[in-house]
Amino acid sequence: MRKTRHWLPLGLALGLLLAACGAGTTPTEEPDITDDTDAAASEEEEEESAPSGDTTRIRWFVGLGAGSDVDTIPAQEEIVERFNASQDEIELVLEIVDNDAAYGVLNPQLAAGDAPDIVGPVGIRGRDGFPGAWLDLEPLVESSGYDLSVFDPELVEFYEVEGEGLLGLPFGVFPQFMFYNLDLFDEAGLNYPPDAYDEPYVMPDGTEVDWDVDTLRELAQLLTVDGNGNDATSSDFDRNDIVQFGFGNQWTDMRGLATLFGPGALVDADGNATMPDHWREAMSWYQDLAWEDGTYPFADYGGADFLDAGNWFNSGNMALSAVHLWYATCCTGELEDAWNLAPMPSALGQTTAKLHADTFTITRATDHPDEAFTVLQYLIGEAASDLLKIYGGMPARSDLQGSFFDELDEGQFAGMGLNWDVVEASLAFNDNPNHEAGLPNSQESQDCYNRVTNRLFVDPDYDVDAALDQLVGDLQNIYDGTGACTLVE
Amino acid sequence: MATTMVKPAGWGRLRLDRTRPKRQEIGPLERRRARAGLLFISPWLVGFLLFYLLPMVASAFFSTLSFQLATPDEAEFIGLGNWQRALFNDPNVWRAWIVTLRFAVINLPIGLVVAFGFALLLNSDYLRSRNLFRTLFYAPSVVPFIASTLIFSQILNSQTGWVNRLISFLFGIDATGVDGIRWLDNPTLIPLTYTFIGIWGLGNAILINLAGLQGVPTALYESASIDGAGWWRRMWHITVPMVSPVIFYNLVLGLVGLLQYFLQPFVLNGTSGYPQGATNFYMIYFYKQAFQFAQMGYGATLAWILFFVALAITIVVFGTARSWVYYSAEQT
Amino acid sequence: MNLLVPRRQVTTYDEVTARIKRKRLLMTWGVTTLAVAILSVWLMPLAYAGVTSLKTRSQVADAPILPTEIATFEFEDRKYEVFEVPFDDGDRELALVTRGRETSEFVDPSDPEAGLITWEGRWRTLEPVRSLSLAWGNYPEAWELINFPRLLFWTTFYATVTLFGAVISSAFVAYGFSRFRFRGRGVLFMVLMATIILPPAVTQVPSYAFFSWIGWTGTWLPLIVPQFFANAYNVFLLRQYFFTIPTEMEQAAAGDGAGALRTFFYVILPQSVPALTAVSLFHFFFAWNDFFGPLIYLVSNRDIQPISIGLTFFSGVYDSEPQLIMAASFIPLAIPLVIFFFAQRVFIQGIVITGVDK
Repeated sequence: MRKTRHWLPLGLALGLLLAACGAGTTPTEEPDITDDTDAAASEEEEEESAPSGDTTRIRWFVGLGAGSDVDTIPAQEEIVERFNASQDEIELVLEIVDNDAAYGVLNPQLAAGDAPDIVGPVGIRGRDGFPGAWLDLEPLVESSGYDLSVFDPELVEFYEVEGEGLLGLPFGVFPQFMFYNLDLFDEAGLNYPPDAYDEPYVMPDGTEVDWDVDTLRELAQLLTVDGNGNDATSSDFDRNDIVQFGFGNQWTDMRGLATLFGPGALVDADGNATMPDHWREAMSWYQDLAWEDGTYPFADYGGADFLDAGNWFNSGNMALSAVHLWYATCCTGELEDAWNLAPMPSALGQTTAKLHADTFTITRATDHPDEAFTVLQYLIGEAASDLLKIYGGMPARSDLQGSFFDELDEGQFAGMGLNWDVVEASLAFNDNPNHEAGLPNSQESQDCYNRVTNRLFVDPDYDVDAALDQLVGDLQNIYDGTGACTLVE
Repeated sequence: MATTMVKPAGWGRLRLDRTRPKRQEIGPLERRRARAGLLFISPWLVGFLLFYLLPMVASAFFSTLSFQLATPDEAEFIGLGNWQRALFNDPNVWRAWIVTLRFAVINLPIGLVVAFGFALLLNSDYLRSRNLFRTLFYAPSVVPFIASTLIFSQILNSQTGWVNRLISFLFGIDATGVDGIRWLDNPTLIPLTYTFIGIWGLGNAILINLAGLQGVPTALYESASIDGAGWWRRMWHITVPMVSPVIFYNLVLGLVGLLQYFLQPFVLNGTSGYPQGATNFYMIYFYKQAFQFAQMGYGATLAWILFFVALAITIVVFGTARSWVYYSAEQT
Repeated sequence: MNLLVPRRQVTTYDEVTARIKRKRLLMTWGVTTLAVAILSVWLMPLAYAGVTSLKTRSQVADAPILPTEIATFEFEDRKYEVFEVPFDDGDRELALVTRGRETSEFVDPSDPEAGLITWEGRWRTLEPVRSLSLAWGNYPEAWELINFPRLLFWTTFYATVTLFGAVISSAFVAYGFSRFRFRGRGVLFMVLMATIILPPAVTQVPSYAFFSWIGWTGTWLPLIVPQFFANAYNVFLLRQYFFTIPTEMEQAAAGDGAGALRTFFYVILPQSVPALTAVSLFHFFFAWNDFFGPLIYLVSNRDIQPISIGLTFFSGVYDSEPQLIMAASFIPLAIPLVIFFFAQRVFIQGIVITGVDK
């Protein structure tokens, strides 16, 4: 039978109303022939998938991160089948929702007490979208004797949330680094970026310069080209007809963009809103690239076909792009072998490679925490290698890391000789505090600060400094719950 | 059977049932008719009690709570706090209203006229292969929204979109580029752009008009022709009045639909309001609060405010309907 | 008839018919041309979709308008694109081997032995040699990626089952609201309208809680059963339409002793075929594309999800496949369009209401 539901105030209210309205009729009283057949059909389905009476149904919700792409679904289904075949106590059920709709589905489920048991893969940002919904895994780790030493302790700490406990165990890590397009560098007659973090960049005339954001800006100008073949340094450069961009920091928000200039936080130790100075500098750097140089996709270049409608680097028309490890496996299909990896450039004397880390979480509303934890161990253990191949991440368990890149070299990226050393080296430069770290009222805060970056790239006359000042005030109100975001998008 | 002038018998009843029947005594016939009427509407009544009433009352109750969706057990009663915030303290609410109403004012008349015009065209005796044309005009309405949004984001792209290329080609101006026509990026163009997108999905309104046009007895046209009435006269004095109940339907639903306008901007821009807040429609803001911030209490308040505004407008429209529909009717 | 009043001195009957015929022909020609003109703009987005569904992923990014492929030439085991290169003695079609900003190296496909040819100039200003290349393979690829037969089955099932429930129940209710006087009718009608005026999204959480409480989530029941209890859109539309039907025939029927039910079936419904067809089509297409309802109620039962959900998996979190989305969207399009093509034949002006054919 279906598990008993949590009856929360909502349910209580409904129940009271039900009684009060005297609508004591059972809703099943109006059966139609057609409905019966349907009910029968769906019951059949359920029976088929629930062979014996004693199995516990564990629902696994995918959609807050990777895993809802059409080509990743069969592999996940296979993992579920394998798990179900391996034992007969738990029946694992997969629920997949496209990322765009995932919030709209998971929220009603949580509110109605009909929550899935396991949610993931999910990053910090996705997890913080549902504050209070997750189970502290600490007691389960203790009671089951799960050995945490297979993880880098720093990574485990990453999932400790003050006041809520251990919300998830490390599953996959995705460091950031620079992707560069070999052909575009060749065409421009430029040397490739350095191979390692302490190496300089060699200009065409042989001079060595630091691999930093100034060099990046210069390269971006040489690598942004219009339809007549003029680059952005030329006086004939036509910014209405750009066909190739020099640099993009792909698919991230304001904190992600700013972290290029060093880690930071929008909230200080006392819970007050702040704006780090180096983040202000970062914002004006992006503004210069977009509107002064025209070398960063601005206005609606970002969504243009020739930049692959947002998947910039994959279009082959962007020379340098800062993205995370998952990008390599998911989204570089059109480039074939024309790319390689390089370290992140330094800024203000400091190098930062922001980090994404995915996990699986268990919902607090679950009726079967122990069974859910068993599944969780399976997902981050036995199934992790296969799953991470789909999701494109490095296993967080150190005992699984060794063979990961070898398998990629033999599989998807055979013959390319990609510079994977950069990936592991990037881990050492991860951003602490993390750019996705929790904020008070995180969803509302994010919505507010993103208004600045959304506007920055469409409005050539935007006064970013004034906007950032206003942002600090707004964030303070949002943290305190005393007001709304006043910034205009 | 030659039809005499059709007496617009039912139109007087478009109004709310404010005036009671003149006769005070209710005879057995009336009573039986009343009972029959209730029986006829009983499917809806039962369904309403079963499936609508509770959720509606519950959502009204939510608007008095501080209620984070993921943690319903921590919901807290805060009285009218949400209402006060939405009505007086939240600038985003007013911005969203302005965006929504501005769009409605632009979109509604264009939508009504275009839907009616297309229906006339598709109903014209002079049109060859009408069936094919009707099917093709309706075709866009069947395209899954996931595809249609993608289509529009691409054909309206100011750099590479077909629309700007076509305009450049036809009119010899350079419509592409940052200085070109930025359909999806220029906040002042947004209401117009979304109106165009909306027109593309007008198939249903066209269909309703088409069905309405069937209700116009040809005899009326014949006698009007005999009287020497031209096309415009017949249009204004026969077609429009005769179809007015259906136009009225399109008007009311158009209004409600526009106040609840959500899907297109949501799939194109999520809740970001891009560009510069121009797509921050009221329902987008509702969605953001209710499902993204998971503040169901505040979200429910926003929805109920929308409800009262829409209800007020609907009642006004229903009130005026009698005169404009009836007035036209008397002209025939 | 007025038309026959002679304006000129002599007008024979033949001349008048000829004039009418000419006018008719002219009007037919004019109206049809107008429709074609509007249609060509109207269908441009669909044309874009069609063209995109025949492109390869890289053509979506690069090819101008039509799915064309740049000609390539294989030289020393690699493929190179062929361009029109201008020389003093005319244009030559050469394969671009080494790209450079101001100088590039080419090879002549007709004479690769001659080795590399250096050309001074900017290759970006050259026209590539293109030929049409249609990627029909997108259709089978999309077909393979999701289970179309199953998804379409459930969509069709949902659309047809609810079609009958929604239309029949709504016709009953609309008749009740349009032809009978009873206490509270105005208020009840406003309550009916209220169910569409209140944004459905706000009742979604309590509705979900309710259906989850009675154990209907994971089945089609929460989506199908309520449709059998009429819905406000259909009721309102049919009510409006019923108002346009003259009451004479009903009175005549009542005079013959027909009860309300008989009158409904034998007088009202036959006269409402266009509106009933419109409502049916409406409902069918609503159900066909209904997305959010099935999404939240069927998330836990992936085996019975409809096509509208299946399609969303083509738009990945980060990596969309536009050409596959288009191809996948075109496949199910055929079914509703064929239905529409045949159903809309009832919209032939004038036959229904008056019973008078032209």
